[in-house]
Amino acid sequence: MERLASVLLSSVLSAGLYATMAYGLAVIYGVMRIINLAHAGLMMLAAYVTLALNTRFGLDPFLSLLVVAPLFFCFGVLLDLTLIRRLPQGGNAPSMQSLLLLFGLWLVLQNLAYVVWGGDTQAILTPYTMSSVPLLGERYGVPLLLVFGVSVLSLLGLNFMLRRSFLGRAIRAVTQNRDAALLSGVNAARISAVAFGLGTAFAAIAGTMLSTLYAFTPDFGRSFLLKAFCIIVLGGLESFTGVAIGALVLALIENLMAAYTSIPTSFQDAISFSLLVLVLVVAPTGLPALFRSFSRRAVAR
Amino acid sequence: MSSLRVEAIDVFYGDVQAVWNISFQVEAGEIVTLVGANGAGKTTTLRTLAGLLRPRAGHILFDGKDVAGLPANELVARGIVLIPEARQLWPGMSVRDNLEMGAYTRAARAERHRTMQSVLEMFPILQKRLTQNAGTLSGGEQQMCAIGRGLMARPRLLMLDEPALGLAPMLVRQVFAALKEINGRGVTLLLVEQNVQHALRLAHRAYVLETGRVTLEGTGAALMDDARVRQRFLGEAGL
Ligand SMILES: Nc1ncnc2c1ncn2[C@@H]1O[C@H](COP(=O)(O)OP(=O)(O)O)[C@@H](O)[C@H]1O
Ligand SMILES: [Mg+2]
Repeated sequence: MERLASVLLSSVLSAGLYATMAYGLAVIYGVMRIINLAHAGLMMLAAYVTLALNTRFGLDPFLSLLVVAPLFFCFGVLLDLTLIRRLPQGGNAPSMQSLLLLFGLWLVLQNLAYVVWGGDTQAILTPYTMSSVPLLGERYGVPLLLVFGVSVLSLLGLNFMLRRSFLGRAIRAVTQNRDAALLSGVNAARISAVAFGLGTAFAAIAGTMLSTLYAFTPDFGRSFLLKAFCIIVLGGLESFTGVAIGALVLALIENLMAAYTSIPTSFQDAISFSLLVLVLVVAPTGLPALFRSFSRRAVAR
Repeated sequence: MSSLRVEAIDVFYGDVQAVWNISFQVEAGEIVTLVGANGAGKTTTLRTLAGLLRPRAGHILFDGKDVAGLPANELVARGIVLIPEARQLWPGMSVRDNLEMGAYTRAARAERHRTMQSVLEMFPILQKRLTQNAGTLSGGEQQMCAIGRGLMARPRLLMLDEPALGLAPMLVRQVFAALKEINGRGVTLLLVEQNVQHALRLAHRAYVLETGRVTLEGTGAALMDDARVRQRFLGEAGL
């Protein structure tokens, strides 16, 4: 019983990070209908920027978020103004051009990192990297708890912004019905730039947090991109709660596997990938849609 | 009050032409209706006037200035507002947020509390639904919310694409009464409607569209008496 409780706690803790990671993809997809394949590259780049701020200025990685997040927001806006905006517009599915462009961007970022920082494995060490606190009979690393706290704060902040500000509501309006947003006077190009900035900032927040938990190289982020895909396929791309549910489901499955089976943790990626395939076969429109059709059938009965 | 002059516009979807050399005008303070069968090009025309589509040729003069090809948000700021076919509300946003988002442009936003009040006076049922998600409204309530959202933008020219579609007769009458009231407040109206009888009765003037071309025009009353119109749209058997 105690074991199950700690599995649940671990799942919730990783779900926060997963949701932050996936939300960056979801907000971009919602507004622009493109899949940001460069997401992993942006997470990796943020990890290196965090490292640089840490070694140069001794800045704590969590504090450096105050610099990294706005910096990457601007970078994202710049990417939109210079590159993404030139893609053919319209259409309800991501275009081949957008996939190729963003995949190419990922490769460029990766190679840039090789040139600037080399291929050696890097890690960020803080005074609390090795400390842990006991919870429910297990010990949890302080960085992991901080990551959870920051994730929850940034998601709540984003949610508040999306619900309360005119800009945030414009983002939701474009996501829910683009034409109606245009007809209300929303400047779609501006909202797209903001959305790509936000998505990039969330990739960076996730990347910075990952850098406090894992060592990294310029190839870093690939397996996390896979997890993010898995989450958005599970939860659907269009709702906040969907992303949260997807993140929790993935984290639960990973933690249950680790606790109750002898599958080594190095197979975790295989688990999320199998899950991705499974969901695509069983519920291609995502779990929320599946639940909705179940409850509709139940009501109809 | 604002006037609209459409001069010989052609509109294409890719390589397929949907609107051929259409011209018509809406004088300041008028109610004008475009009638025509399914696929005649009514929606295409309105979406072009609203800036969602670009005409390949022709001019669109709004209060004398050519606005053809301007983006939708620019046109809304100038007072051209379209209430689109099938409502197009934001289903996951509350009725209040739907209405408030209608007042997105700078000028409309400054006035939004006052406009909201007059919208709620026109459609009291919305007052009770303010905190509900728009996706949970009935068809009639959705149409009122859509009209309300359009009014929140403080339009000078209000265009409506089949506002009575799928509504029960009593609601149709309520919607048309609201349109008359809106026009009475000085808003120029361009109405597309399948309910030809109601539309012709309300409108000062009307144009008939067939396969992307204007084939007839006249006052509402004159078209109501036109044999071709009676036969095609008012369900009278031909001789
Ligand atoms: N998105 C589209 N892509 C291609 N053709 C379209 C599209 N929308 C409408 N059409 C075509 O344009 C013509 C006019 O359609 P529409 O303007 O919707 O007519 P109406 O509103 O009068 O029913 C029709 O032949 C229709 O098939
Ligand atoms: Mg139509």
